[in-house]
Amino acid sequence: MSDATHPAPVPAVSRPAPRPRWRKLARQNALHLLMAPLALLWLSPLIWILVTSLKTNTEVFDQAAGFLPASPKFSNYPSTLSVAPFGTYLINSVIVTATILACQLVTITLAAYAFARLTFPGKGLLFTLFLLQVMFPIYAIFLTNFVTLREMGLVNTIPAMIVPFVASGYGTFMLRQSFRQVPSELSDAARLDGCGHMAILWHVYLPLVKPTLIAFGIISVVTHWNDYMWPLLVTNSEGIRTLPIGLGLLAKADSGADWPRLMAGTTIVVSPLLILFVIFQRRFIDSFMHTGVK
Amino acid sequence: MWLAYALLLPSLIFLAAFTYWPILRSIWFSLHDVLLGDPDIYWLGAENYLRLLEDRLFWKVLGNTAFYTMITIPLSIVVALLLAVALDSKLRGMAIYRSAFFYPVMIPSVAAGMVWVFLYAPGYGPINEALTAVGLPRLDWLYDSTWALPAIMIMAVWKYSGYFMLILLAALKLVPSDLYEAARLDGVSGWQRLLHITIPLVSPTLYFVIIIGTLHSYQIFDYVYVMTQGGPADSTNVLTFYIYQNGFQYQDIGYASALANVLLVFVLGLIGLVAMTLGRKVHYLGER
Repeated sequence: MSDATHPAPVPAVSRPAPRPRWRKLARQNALHLLMAPLALLWLSPLIWILVTSLKTNTEVFDQAAGFLPASPKFSNYPSTLSVAPFGTYLINSVIVTATILACQLVTITLAAYAFARLTFPGKGLLFTLFLLQVMFPIYAIFLTNFVTLREMGLVNTIPAMIVPFVASGYGTFMLRQSFRQVPSELSDAARLDGCGHMAILWHVYLPLVKPTLIAFGIISVVTHWNDYMWPLLVTNSEGIRTLPIGLGLLAKADSGADWPRLMAGTTIVVSPLLILFVIFQRRFIDSFMHTGVK
Repeated sequence: MWLAYALLLPSLIFLAAFTYWPILRSIWFSLHDVLLGDPDIYWLGAENYLRLLEDRLFWKVLGNTAFYTMITIPLSIVVALLLAVALDSKLRGMAIYRSAFFYPVMIPSVAAGMVWVFLYAPGYGPINEALTAVGLPRLDWLYDSTWALPAIMIMAVWKYSGYFMLILLAALKLVPSDLYEAARLDGVSGWQRLLHITIPLVSPTLYFVIIIGTLHSYQIFDYVYVMTQGGPADSTNVLTFYIYQNGFQYQDIGYASALANVLLVFVLGLIGLVAMTLGRKVHYLGER
């Protein structure tokens, strides 16, 4: 990255001989020897989910049965789908996650533009209020939020799962940083052409910060798709539950008696995101990677 | 000027209603006798807080929460840093390793909790099988009040290290490689390079990871709910779960609010600590 700014290295007079190739190779191999088992260890829970979902119940409890099922029992999947309405859960998950993201994109874009490009009294204080929200996730304030939603009559409705997440201090911060990197000459030029703030925001800023919007979108989707506590607290009927809640209920009903069926359910719940992750690996990795340095 | 406020309005309405109003309200509730769904509330003054001081379970829960946080966060960060350094050395197959360590972040907490209940199962779980295979004693894990919380902590390290690794990897990429080269030529060992070059240079990111780690540590609620329900003998009961128990199972919103305020004071203390220690020091390497 810094190659261009640094002068070419000057060969030192008493420079030690460069390492022989074989040493470098040996080092690499030693590292692989260490990392490959570690990676396998990390993958093992996923492997167990898949393998167990294809076993029979007796194979799970029989210690002599070996690691792989004698013959893969794919019928665990249809039988899981017949005991719990995963289709409904899936639709609800999609609705909740998509609505949260859509609302967030609107609120953070407007707020980030104000913080990045406008001056107004109270800006510092308001920005602090936005930033502090990051420290108060729903886990810290769920109790009174529940009471509030109850008074509004929203408990056990789809909006209850959405409204606490419409404003995002984190997203506003992320987007403000990107907006500030847009050269002001660009917006000045648009201003001279008679564009208003909204037109500039739409035509100049948003196209330029697309990578940030995508990164935020991925993080938001992963977070809310997997959310457990809040949907658990505010839903109590089959028709509006999301995938993670459905899986939790299945586990409760089974209470460890039918692991293959439960693991088939787990596979169904973890696969949408994992499949997307495998397809768009670079995008996912980049999004999470740069949450730290931006 | 009015435009700015108009742009902030949508966010501010929701921030006020679902972040700041609840905080004020829970202070108000904590000074009253409030039952869930009961419109009558009675002024109690500091009584809920006095009760809290005498509640032995509260102190146990607080201890569990501190133990979980103080061990899990540093441990995951150390694991993450070592993984990041190993992967930063232009290892072949790096993309595969990266995904292998990162994918647990994509898995819903319920699903993760459930698989680990299976992995930890005393009778037939693979972890005990593995322990037997290498000649170690089998453990009751989630059914043993000594091991239940550590078992959840091990799972949390598995779940979050990959995320922290990724963030640290981004920071490591920005460390000029000639710095390592120079140190290597001067005969500085790998361990010392890590200690004296890498860690100081990525320290702003390390602070950031600590904050992210703290925020994720709230999520222990999910694991406790799915895996142990706070047991055995409250050995895995933590603050968020205890708030839930008091508020939702015993319907005692007043007392639960007092507990929630303790959590908020915890968070505020942390914000203060972070602001004091790094407020001025932090400069993000990536920012230009």
